[in-house]
Amino acid sequence: MKKLKVGLISFAHGHAYSYLASLAAMPEVEIVGIADESQSRVASIVERTGLPYYADYRELLATDADAIVICSENVHHARHAIAAAEARKHVLCEKPLGISVSEMERMIAAARDNGVQLMTAFPCRYLPAVTGAKAAIERGDIGDIVAVKGTNHGTNPGGWFTDRALSGGGALLDHTVHVMDLLNWMIGSEVKEVYGYAASRFGETKIDDAGLVHVKFAGGAFAVIDTSWSRPKSFPTWGDVTMEIIGTKGSISVDGFAQKNEVYSDLAGKGSWSYWGDDMDRLMIESFVGSLLEGRPVPITGEDGLRSAAVALAAYESAKLGQPVAL
Amino acid sequence: MRVAVLGCGGMGHVHAQSFAGMADAELVGVCDIDAELAGELASKTGTRAFCSFADMLEETDPQVISIALPSYLHKQAVLEAAEAGKHVICEKPVALSLEDTDEIIEACRRNGVRLFVGHVVRFFPEYEQVRRQIKEGRIGEPGVAHTKRVGGHPGIARGWFKDHAKSGGVIVDMMIHDIDFMRWIWGEVKSVYAMNACKDDSDYALVTLEFANGAAANLEAHWGDPGPFRYAAEISGSAGLIRLDSAASASLHVRTRAQAERDGRFAEIPQSPGVLSPYDRELAHFLACVRDGAVPLVTAEDAREALRIALAALESIQTGKVVLL
Ligand SMILES: NC(=O)c1ccc[n+]([C@@H]2O[C@H](COP(=O)([O-])OP(=O)(O)OC[C@H]3O[C@@H](n4cnc5c(N)ncnc54)[C@H](O)[C@@H]3O)[C@@H](O)[C@H]2O)c1
Repeated sequence: MKKLKVGLISFAHGHAYSYLASLAAMPEVEIVGIADESQSRVASIVERTGLPYYADYRELLATDADAIVICSENVHHARHAIAAAEARKHVLCEKPLGISVSEMERMIAAARDNGVQLMTAFPCRYLPAVTGAKAAIERGDIGDIVAVKGTNHGTNPGGWFTDRALSGGGALLDHTVHVMDLLNWMIGSEVKEVYGYAASRFGETKIDDAGLVHVKFAGGAFAVIDTSWSRPKSFPTWGDVTMEIIGTKGSISVDGFAQKNEVYSDLAGKGSWSYWGDDMDRLMIESFVGSLLEGRPVPITGEDGLRSAAVALAAYESAKLGQPVAL
Repeated sequence: MRVAVLGCGGMGHVHAQSFAGMADAELVGVCDIDAELAGELASKTGTRAFCSFADMLEETDPQVISIALPSYLHKQAVLEAAEAGKHVICEKPVALSLEDTDEIIEACRRNGVRLFVGHVVRFFPEYEQVRRQIKEGRIGEPGVAHTKRVGGHPGIARGWFKDHAKSGGVIVDMMIHDIDFMRWIWGEVKSVYAMNACKDDSDYALVTLEFANGAAANLEAHWGDPGPFRYAAEISGSAGLIRLDSAASASLHVRTRAQAERDGRFAEIPQSPGVLSPYDRELAHFLACVRDGAVPLVTAEDAREALRIALAALESIQTGKVVLL
């Protein structure tokens, strides 16, 4: 069996743990190493897995890895992805793809110029409720899409996420892109106008933790996404991905993590929701690996990552102006 | 207290039946230009039926007139009632323009009669509880809120709802409940941004309000939703959040083998099972205010402000801009 050799740059974003677990479970994948400037951050992983560790990501890029998974702080995505592309490695980059349109364009160009593929990590496309909604839309079950009300609520992640110098933005940047990507995917029309609300409302941090993004598409549809880190500590789960999709002939409700049991444990001191549906991260990683091994285009591109991050960036501009901005 | 009901459609039925069941109210008459409807409601509630408002006023001498006419007819009816010296309970929206609203408020003031507007959401126990718990500080400072109110298109049963010149459309007619609720819990609104798609049997709107305190809410309303009528809200703050959902709190489901025959004549009216319906509580409160001169839980000025915000949403839809209030 032909194996794909994969390395991981940075465990700054917690998704790295889940991506690593998914990669480790695939017989067609050989994990070649982990690079992280912070040795302490990955010490336990390195010890448990026995994987080679590199303090400098450039050493990992000097190996014979075929592909690199990047989970560094947002401001480092471009540097890591461009270096990986220049080392002729395919790239799976955590969202948001970048923190400016120009750097994302450079990432896309670097991949193209070096003949490698760049995929943006949007695992929500693999949520079974989301794929079901996409199929229903394509079957024409609800006619044409008129409007969508979406949410990607979360809990304040703390750490570097709330340090603008590392994250590039707060909840509006962090949580616009997942649902925005789904909207781009399902509606298939360009966003032409964006109105954003961004504020710090939930204590803890100065960075924006409350966000509403409004978009109007060239085809006439419109949508709103609540991106807020508004789930309190007492809430039974971390957050959500939901969409109410209004069509000319019906509507679709997506509640991405509704497949859950309710767990009431005195050990936790509160009730919690325990998700039991399919693992979207695993499905996304399998799709990334499969595409590369079979020489197919990756299903979610750098352009996709740019398209949705650009909306978040425009939303910040709009929030500053207090009026919608053209995209 | 002698009460008469003007309009015997969906809401007129609710008002008349509610008054008929109140120990300290006497339903002296009901009126509709549709004689059959008036007769039917009169016999259900044990009162007299009229086809002419003037006749009802003269023959029954009510102290309070409850107006449940199509919205574009509110002003004319309130002015007539006020001129006749009757206290007025008027369904929401109080009117379709601020000019008409001011005329209504002024006429009631001039004639020394009370004016109450049926923003009934303030009388729904679940919304009342949200407000109380917010005031108690349970969720901290205001953050981001959502409200939802969706159902079939009322214009299918009652054609006038489809004519925006008569109903105001889904924002002015229905979302106004949530606009009023949001002001009740979070105070004054400083800006409005709205998006709307209105075509055939569907009128869908998303409206974002930013409050003077810096918080924001996105309100969703739909006439033409394929599901049953339902409403929901989520209010988040710096120390917690509260959710309510009519579908999740439906405490009684009766399922019969034979598909129940649906009465499709009227626009659907929210049902909230309880000893007293929110409409009973609202109307009894208004009568109590007439009796003891108290300030009502929702004032005519509140109704005017809710309408002002709804009209700002229409302006935002037209211009595509954020409207500052
Ligand atoms: N608070 C709520 O929850 C709620 C719910 C539904 C409707 N409403 C409001 O209540 C009002 C009435 O709505 P509805 O659904 O009952 O409408 P409807 O069409 O069912 O009833 C209106 C009635 O008024 C009658 N009418 C029309 N012109 C008349 C006239 N000149 N004199 C006497 N009768 C006349 C019509 O024949 C009709 O029977 C509207 O303002 C609406 O927005 C409020």
